[in-house]
Amino acid sequence: MTSDSSSRSSSSDEEDEKSTGKKPNTNSIDNSLDAIENQLSSISFNAPIDENTATFADYNHESVSEINDGSLTETVGERRVISIGESSSSRGTGLWTKNMEVEVEMDGSMASPSSSGYAGERGSSGSVSVTSGCGSDGVREVRDNGSTAGDDGVNSLDTDRGQWTSGKRHADEDDTSVSWRKRKKHFFILSHSGKPIYSRYGDEHKLAGFSATLQAIISFVENGGDRVKLVRAGKHQVVFLVKGPIYLVCISCTEEPYESLRGQLELLYGQMILILTRSVDRCFEKNPKFDMTPLLGGTDAVFYLLIHSFSQNPATFLHAYTCLPLAYATRQAAGAILQDVADTGVVFAILMCKDKVVSLVGLQKASLHPDDMLLMANFVMSSESFRTSESFSPICLPRYNPMAFLYAYVHYLDADTYLILLTGSSQAFFHLKECRIRIETVLSKSNVLSEVQRSMSEGGLRIDQLPVDPSARSGSLFHLNQRKPSPETVVGVGGPAGLLHFIYRSIYLDQYVSSEFASPINSRPQQKRLYRAYQRLYASMHDKGVGPHKTQFRRDENYVLLCWVTQDFELYAAFDPLADKAVAIRICNRVCQWVKDVENEIFLLGASPFSW
Amino acid sequence: MPSRRRTLLKVIILGDSGVGKTSLMNQYVNKKFSNQYKATIGADFLTKEVEFEDRLFTLQIWDTAGQERFQSLGVAFYRGADCCVLVYDVNVQKSFDDLNNWREEFLIQASPSDPENFPFIVLGNKVDVDGGNSRVVSEKKARAWCASKGNIPYFETSAKEGINVEEAFQVIAKNALKNGEEEEIYLPDTIDVGSTSQQRASGCDC
Ligand SMILES: Nc1nc2c(ncn2[C@@H]2O[C@H](COP(=O)(O)OP(=O)(O)OP(=O)(O)O)[C@@H](O)[C@H]2O)c(=O)[nH]1
Ligand SMILES: [Mg+2]
Repeated sequence: MTSDSSSRSSSSDEEDEKSTGKKPNTNSIDNSLDAIENQLSSISFNAPIDENTATFADYNHESVSEINDGSLTETVGERRVISIGESSSSRGTGLWTKNMEVEVEMDGSMASPSSSGYAGERGSSGSVSVTSGCGSDGVREVRDNGSTAGDDGVNSLDTDRGQWTSGKRHADEDDTSVSWRKRKKHFFILSHSGKPIYSRYGDEHKLAGFSATLQAIISFVENGGDRVKLVRAGKHQVVFLVKGPIYLVCISCTEEPYESLRGQLELLYGQMILILTRSVDRCFEKNPKFDMTPLLGGTDAVFYLLIHSFSQNPATFLHAYTCLPLAYATRQAAGAILQDVADTGVVFAILMCKDKVVSLVGLQKASLHPDDMLLMANFVMSSESFRTSESFSPICLPRYNPMAFLYAYVHYLDADTYLILLTGSSQAFFHLKECRIRIETVLSKSNVLSEVQRSMSEGGLRIDQLPVDPSARSGSLFHLNQRKPSPETVVGVGGPAGLLHFIYRSIYLDQYVSSEFASPINSRPQQKRLYRAYQRLYASMHDKGVGPHKTQFRRDENYVLLCWVTQDFELYAAFDPLADKAVAIRICNRVCQWVKDVENEIFLLGASPFSW
Repeated sequence: MPSRRRTLLKVIILGDSGVGKTSLMNQYVNKKFSNQYKATIGADFLTKEVEFEDRLFTLQIWDTAGQERFQSLGVAFYRGADCCVLVYDVNVQKSFDDLNNWREEFLIQASPSDPENFPFIVLGNKVDVDGGNSRVVSEKKARAWCASKGNIPYFETSAKEGINVEEAFQVIAKNALKNGEEEEIYLPDTIDVGSTSQQRASGCDC
C-alpha cells in the first residue's frame, strides 16, 4: 500500500511554506468527524490513515449538520444513517434518521461485490449499497496492481480514439461489477426523483438502484434544511452538487481537492446546459417524473472528452483560456476580419485551433466566459459530425445565458482549426455561411492559416529557451530563425536550475500560457500528475477559509512546486525535486519577465472577452 | 432520437412494518423468500428490467421501511414516483386500516400533478398463512375500499408461495407506464440578441 507513489504527494517529506498563516484549527465539527473517521477506519481497515485523509478539510464544515459525539458509539455498529457497504446483519442500502446526523459508515466486508443483501444473484437486480465503488479493499487492489492504476480509467485519446468517438465505455458494467467498483473516478447525473441521467461508467438503467440511493441521501439531508456537500469514506470522496432538479455526484479516490472535484461537477453541469439549456428545469417543475435521458441521446462522447480534459487541460481548473502563440500582426489580421463579420450581427466570432484560441471578437460589449469557451470547444471537438461538414447547431452558453439557446455555425478550416460564429437567429445559416467564406478567403490570403499550422507544429514557450536576461532580447518568439521545430524531438532538455514546467495565468486577460512539456515530463501519466499537483496548488491558493496566499513553496518526492500570486498574475512552476529554493525563485522572476516580453504573441490583447 | 429509448419507472412500496413489502420485492426480483424478518432501515432500492408490449422498461423499486420512526423520510423518497404500491397483511386488521394513512401521506408528500388518477395498487399479502384461517380482512372488504378510492387494482398475494406476485407487478408496470404517457414537452428559448447583447444574463459572478 505504501509502495504506491505514483499519484499522490506523500505528506512525509513535504515542506509547506505559506506566507500567510496556517490553516485554522479544526473546529469541533471537524473533530467529531475525524473521530468518526478514525474509528471507522480502525474498524474497517485496521490500517492507519495518513494525515491527508484523517483531516476533514475546512471547506465542508458548513455543510455538515451537527454531529454529536455521543451518538457515535451507538451509531457505529448496528445502525446507519447513510450506510456505506454492507454488513451481514442488515441488507442493502439504508437511510435512517436521527437528529439530523450525517455520518458515514464503512464496512470491511465491501470487498465482495455480492455481499450486499440479495445482490449477486442477478446482475441487474441486486440491492444496492450506497457507495459501492468505495470499498477500501477495492481501492487498495487498484492501487496495488499497476495495470489499472496510474490513471482513472482513461487511456490516451490518441490510442483510444475509436472508442471515445463511439460513445460510452464499459456500458456493460453496473454497480455489482468488480471492475465498476474499482474505477477511480465516477461521475453521475440524476434527477431529483432519483432517475439516472448520466453515468461515466456503466449503463444508466442498470444503475437505477444506485442512482436512487444517491437521491435518497441528498433529499434526506435537504429535508432537514441542510445540504450534503462531501462525504469521506476512507480514501474516497463523494462530492455532491445540487442544481435545482438536477443532482450531480462525483465519487473519487484520486485525492484531488474537494474544490477541484466540485469545479468539475460544475463543468459537467455546464456541459449539459450547453446542450439543453436550463429550460429542462421547467419540465421537472411541471412533472417531477420527467425522464431527461432521451434528450441527451448521442452525447456520451461530449461528456467523455470533458471528463478526460479534467486531467489533461489546465483550463478546467484555472478558469482561463489559452491562445495559440502567433506573431502580433498575424493575430491582428485574424481579429480584423472577425470584427468585420461581428459588425453584421454575429454575437461572437471565434477562431480556434484545437483548444487554443487564435482570435475572438464579441458584438458590442458581449463577453464570453472562459468556462463557456472551454465547454463550447469541448462540444465541437468531441462531435465528429462537425469535422465533416459545415454545421448549424443550437448551443447554450451557461455563463452568458443559461436559459436560452444561441445558434452556432461551426466549420473546420483545416484538420485542427475551426471557426465558430454565434448568433441569436435560427434563420442566420446562410448569412453565417457567407461570413465564413469571407473569413476563410481573407485568412488564407493573409497566410494566417499557414501561420497557425506552423505555430501548432513548433509549439509555444519552451523552458530550454528561457532567456538568461529576458529584457535584453527583443520580445519576440518569431524572429528567431533558429527555433527548432517539434518539441517532441528534443530529448533530455529541462530548463535552467531544474525548471520542468510552468503555467502563467494573467488575471486581467482571463488567459493563461503554459510551457511546452519537456523531458522528463513527457508521458501522459506524468503530465496528468503534474496537472493534479498544480490543481492542488491552485485550490490551496484560492481556499477562502485560509485567506489569500502570496507565495507557496512545496517540495515532495516528485517536484518542487512554486506558486506566486499577485494582483496581475499567478505563476505555477515545477522544478526538479532537488532544486534550490533561492535559485528557483530567481528563475520564476525570469519566467515572468519573459512572459511579459512576449505577451503580445502569446495572449490576445485589447480584446479581453470577459473583463471589459 | 437515441437508439435505445428505454423507460425508467419509479415504484414506491408502502405499508406497515412486517406486512411483507421486502419479501414481495425479493420474491419478484430474485425469486427468493426467507422466513426471517429483517426490518428495512430507511429504504432499499432494487431494479428490474421488464419487457412489456415489445418495449424494455427498468423498474426502479423503492422498498421503504414501514416502521414509524422512518416516516419523516417521506418527501425524500416519494418525489417523481410513477406508481405507488400499498401493501397490507390480510391477517392484521391494523395494517389494513392504515392503508388510508399511507395513501394520503403519499399524496401529500409526493404531490402528483393529478392526484385523482395517480396509479396506486393494493396488495393483500400473506394469504398463505394458516391456509387462510387466521385471516381477518376479507377480500370483499378490501375490494370495497379499493373501489371507493377510484378503483385501485387489487391483488391477493403470498410472497412466500409466490402467489400473484408476478401478476401484480405486471399491472404495476402497466399502470405506471400509462400514467407517464403524457410526456413533458421540452421547449427551450432562443436568445433575443437585440436585447441581450447589451446585458449579460445573471449568474455571472466572476
Ligand atoms: N407466511 C408468509 N410470511 C410472509 C409473507 N411475506 C412476508 N412474510 C414474513 O413476514 C415477515 C416480514 O416481512 P418483510 O418483508 O420483512 O416485511 P416489511 O413489510 O418489509 O417490513 P419493514 O421492512 O419493517 O417495513 C418476514 O418474517 C417474512 O418472512 C407471506 O406472503 N407469507
Ligand atoms: Mg422491509
